[in-house]
Amino acid sequence: METIERAPLNELLQLQMELLQSTLNRVYNRVPSYRKAMESVDITPEAVTSLEDIYKLPFTTRQDLIANYPYGQFAVPLRDIIRLHTLSCGISNPIVMGYTKQDVAHRQGLTCRFLSASGVTADDIVQICLDPGMTFLAQELKEAAEAMGALVIPPEPMAVQERLRILVDFKTSTLITFSSYFQYLFAELAESGIQLANLSLKRVLLLDERLNMDVRKEMEQEFAINILCGHGILEAVGPVMAYECEKRNGLHLAMDHLIPEVIDPDTGAVLPHGERGELVITTLTTKANPLMRFRTGELTRIISEPCVCGRVGWRMEPVYGRTDGLVQVRGLNISLNQVDEFVRRGMGRLSSNASLQAVPYVMAVRKERFLERLELWIAITDDFFAGSLPLLHNWLRDMEMEFEDAFGLSCRMRPVELCTLESYLKQGLRVIYL
Amino acid sequence: MLQIKNLNTYYASIAILRNLSLHVRQGEIVCLIGANGAGKTTLLRTISGLVPCSQGEILYRDRSILGLAPDVIVKMGIGHSPEGRQVFAPLTVMENLELGAYHRFGRAEKTEIQGDFDRIFQLFPRLYERRRQIAGTLSGGEQQMLAIGRALMAKPNLLLLDEPSLGLAPKLVEGIFQAIVTLNQAEGLTILIVEQNARRVLEMAHRGYVLETGRIVLQGTAQELRDDSDVQRAYLGKDYAQVTER
Repeated sequence: METIERAPLNELLQLQMELLQSTLNRVYNRVPSYRKAMESVDITPEAVTSLEDIYKLPFTTRQDLIANYPYGQFAVPLRDIIRLHTLSCGISNPIVMGYTKQDVAHRQGLTCRFLSASGVTADDIVQICLDPGMTFLAQELKEAAEAMGALVIPPEPMAVQERLRILVDFKTSTLITFSSYFQYLFAELAESGIQLANLSLKRVLLLDERLNMDVRKEMEQEFAINILCGHGILEAVGPVMAYECEKRNGLHLAMDHLIPEVIDPDTGAVLPHGERGELVITTLTTKANPLMRFRTGELTRIISEPCVCGRVGWRMEPVYGRTDGLVQVRGLNISLNQVDEFVRRGMGRLSSNASLQAVPYVMAVRKERFLERLELWIAITDDFFAGSLPLLHNWLRDMEMEFEDAFGLSCRMRPVELCTLESYLKQGLRVIYL
Repeated sequence: MLQIKNLNTYYASIAILRNLSLHVRQGEIVCLIGANGAGKTTLLRTISGLVPCSQGEILYRDRSILGLAPDVIVKMGIGHSPEGRQVFAPLTVMENLELGAYHRFGRAEKTEIQGDFDRIFQLFPRLYERRRQIAGTLSGGEQQMLAIGRALMAKPNLLLLDEPSLGLAPKLVEGIFQAIVTLNQAEGLTILIVEQNARRVLEMAHRGYVLETGRIVLQGTAQELRDDSDVQRAYLGKDYAQVTER
């Protein structure tokens, strides 16, 4: 355990206070959008004299990050940035995140902390299985594990059978992946006839918390492994901003890098610890892209009682839902608003009828052997389509290609009759899980 | 050991320090860097009670010391070696050192104080050679040694050092810094140091804070600050002019 993880709480809070003040001093002078936001509520950095004063600051949303494309959110000159990531937001401008050398070092330090809290050491053989859309997380995990001296097998696009072969033949001791892929991989494993005794796997680290606790326990017993979760958002501090300890009583937040709050998603009011609401974070150590009260859109609860493992910082419960119409598929965030816009534009190309209303569609997340696959069920009505079937098929194929380009994930377009969707739409369901 | 929260210090109605928060842990060397007029010296003077007009909180070993008289603060274990040395020029080296132990004079402490003289002479052999000399006739480096020695005579647990390298030849600076490291490593003395020579002090300190117009704008381990582009540009002499702006 790192010293900071078991530092007395008052020491931690003093550190947070100092870091918050210096971050605000920097962003107020350097990031016009933050300055404007602070001026709009009549706040200067001087007004923040306690951690509670953070509640006076305005929120930052993903929309703000998109609006300040490309470099409007940067608090350092471009030449101090050594790495840029763009987070695709579908058809709007992407979110651009930059990192200074120090930011990269902090991210790596935090990733190492997650790995070692999960029990990874220099003796481990770490295999990373993530989708191509998650390359930058995979990259950071790889760098961190390498820095710890572990042997790393980074993800490469390959068939599941190849991955299983590596798992067995290379004696992987730690597997890092997402829950749905993990279940898929292990279902394949069971069918492949590989003897479990040949497996050297000790632990599986999941980058989401969507695996049901009971399923988790079952799998842990069956395969004699530990399954631990880490949680992160793409916009802040690293692949993982909260991680489980061996006690598994929620996820330990990296309190030396961020200040967490939970708010009522409708009113924006701050909720006391223990109540469920939307997670809001303020970064403390990020130099290039500091986030001030960033609304993550994730629904959770903060547990402020210290954990029995000895770490004093607060914990968060696994995320149980979202507020912002973001759908997480294989670790990628897909915004329904963006899909709306995508479909509307697509329709425009098929039909010249400009007065066309929004076309009903439903997004279906289908689990095929545990692996999530995305489908769009689009209602084809006479209003806008009177052409030939080959034309429709071509259009659907184009839409599939464009979707993959825009969102980084393949998606099947299924033409359906309106009546098929009606039952879902009546219930207000936009996303269905099959 | 030392915790400062939201310190605001004023000279008349002008705010010199604004909402300044920092902490120093036992056994650390923490440095403050910043341009002239940023408020570094004011901060040290506020801690040791020399600047009265302040709001906020200064906790030393969990006790509030804001508003206490300087002599009380010295007795609590905070020593201050001021900027520009400020030795008592007409007095001898020995007398200067004795004054540093002023609050400890008494029968019982006599042998202890004697021991402290030896300790300081061991650290700065030069002072031993000049112990009978009038302080005003010492060289700049020697006066600096004397100022540090005098602060040490008060047996502080936390030493505030203000610009120990000011106006000294590089060779002498090296000697002074060496002594500071020795004090920290061998005796476990906690040190809060203000220094213009950012490059050198960041090699020695554990952590640092960067002050700009009375506000802390950056902090981190010495390594982080050394590698930081803002610090490099502003304090380590790597200017924008030396690189092509992207």
